[in-house]
Amino acid sequence: MNPVFRSVRELSVAVRERRVSPVELTDAFLDRLERLGPRYNAVVTVTRERALDQARRAEGEIAAGRWRGPLHGIPYGAKDLLAATGAPTTWGAAPLRGQTFEHDATVIRRLEAAGAVLVAKLAMVELAGGMGYRQPNASFTGPGISPWGDDAWSGGSSSGSGSAVAAGLVPFAIGSETWGSILSPAAYCGVSGLRPTYGRVSRHGAMALCWTLDKLGPLALTADDCGLVLDAIAGPDPHDPSAAARPFTYDDGDPTRRRFRFGMVRGIADGAEPAVREAFAASLETLAKLGTVEEVTLADLPYDAVTRTILSAEAASAFEDLIESGAIAGLTAPEDHYTPYARDAILAKDYIKALRLRAHVMREADRVLSRLDALVAPGRPATAPPLGREFRDLHRPSRDPMGAIGNAAGLPAIAVPNGFSESGLPTSLQFMGRAWEDNTVLAAARAWQAITDFHLRHPTID
Amino acid sequence: MPRMSEPAATSREADALFELVRGRYGDRLTPEQLESVRRGVAAIVEHAAALRAVRLDNADEPVQRFVPFRADE
Repeated sequence: MNPVFRSVRELSVAVRERRVSPVELTDAFLDRLERLGPRYNAVVTVTRERALDQARRAEGEIAAGRWRGPLHGIPYGAKDLLAATGAPTTWGAAPLRGQTFEHDATVIRRLEAAGAVLVAKLAMVELAGGMGYRQPNASFTGPGISPWGDDAWSGGSSSGSGSAVAAGLVPFAIGSETWGSILSPAAYCGVSGLRPTYGRVSRHGAMALCWTLDKLGPLALTADDCGLVLDAIAGPDPHDPSAAARPFTYDDGDPTRRRFRFGMVRGIADGAEPAVREAFAASLETLAKLGTVEEVTLADLPYDAVTRTILSAEAASAFEDLIESGAIAGLTAPEDHYTPYARDAILAKDYIKALRLRAHVMREADRVLSRLDALVAPGRPATAPPLGREFRDLHRPSRDPMGAIGNAAGLPAIAVPNGFSESGLPTSLQFMGRAWEDNTVLAAARAWQAITDFHLRHPTID
Repeated sequence: MPRMSEPAATSREADALFELVRGRYGDRLTPEQLESVRRGVAAIVEHAAALRAVRLDNADEPVQRFVPFRADE
């Protein structure tokens, strides 16, 4: 069988039924990573030796009747901020190209325990975008490129995680989100990307950008695959005090039997690009087949200022050594050489005020979401920007209130494809749920994908 | 939630904070980079003004809670 653009669910059945072996799968994806990865600036390191060791072990276990579960023998890629022995962990930053760790991140360990096969460390925006980059060319591996267009950014900071899944270089990938870093590449690359509830997944062994905002989550072809991966990586971890002692079991029951109650923040798509607005309007009509959609209003709080202040202050501390030593001058994006210096102007009392206001943001989001299954909104307000241009002005408020609220409140969200622009770039729809309702947003996204086919369309690669 | 009146002009605060940043890092930066840092400081002060404009109660705690530590627990 040709394993490319098959879901994890399909590949898993094929592996279990021995229609394809883990070694065959691994060989196929290693070949694609080495041959096509450079085209999208998607890969930092192909972990060939480790992958083939894991694949042979999986093959032997499955042949002996010891099937570990749906990820057994399935190749995947990890954002290069996750420590993994035997390969550099560069954090996307030129000054750290030779950085290595003598341990595996908890997520890498859990995926190994599930039988998954690590085939690549995937490219990312340097330091997960924490220095304030404003352009796609912000990694020593070059600008991430979406497989949907030669001049289309893959999004960031989990750039390679998005483009590698979209180009069929891996069946799934692990990314991270502090603010937008899973949903943005999922949207620009036309794949499914899940930002779990904060604390659902241990960050032990992951680069810290912002301790109270960082989350790890999967990107894959389908929402169902995201659920399968989350099931393997979720759970408490004594090495990460933020990892909650809340059990998680993926509920993969038929989501089309339930009636969903969706909400939409009034005017949420008003500032979006026309193609995004049109796709979102069409999506609202489709969502009516799955349940109800009602307009909601949120209290007037400085959502953007809360999240931005927390992120900037914590990132300034997390990378204090790199910033104060001047080592940031070795980063790729010119603006990353000096933008962080301004953060010395954040006063302690303002950071604390942001943390106090965060409690109000959390309560307000929960007030609205307690009556709903999910808020819906465009995954991003625009399609993938071109590679050679600045895509934002950091000095102005963002157009991402859902991201500001969802990340400040630690809420789960999933982005799934919902259309294409005239130039063929994907648009995206996000479902954001109440804290710990990861299964609910997954169910909503799976129900969406049960009645649409955007996730089944793939870019022309070869 | 009651909100304070709109913040007064924040330029003096931004200027003072920018001088602090320039004193620490100015010798590393070109005039163009310094100007960008100045705009960054101004944005931070604007965000701070938005935060300060919301009045909170004395009992409104930061969300991170301090937990005393014992190695044997």
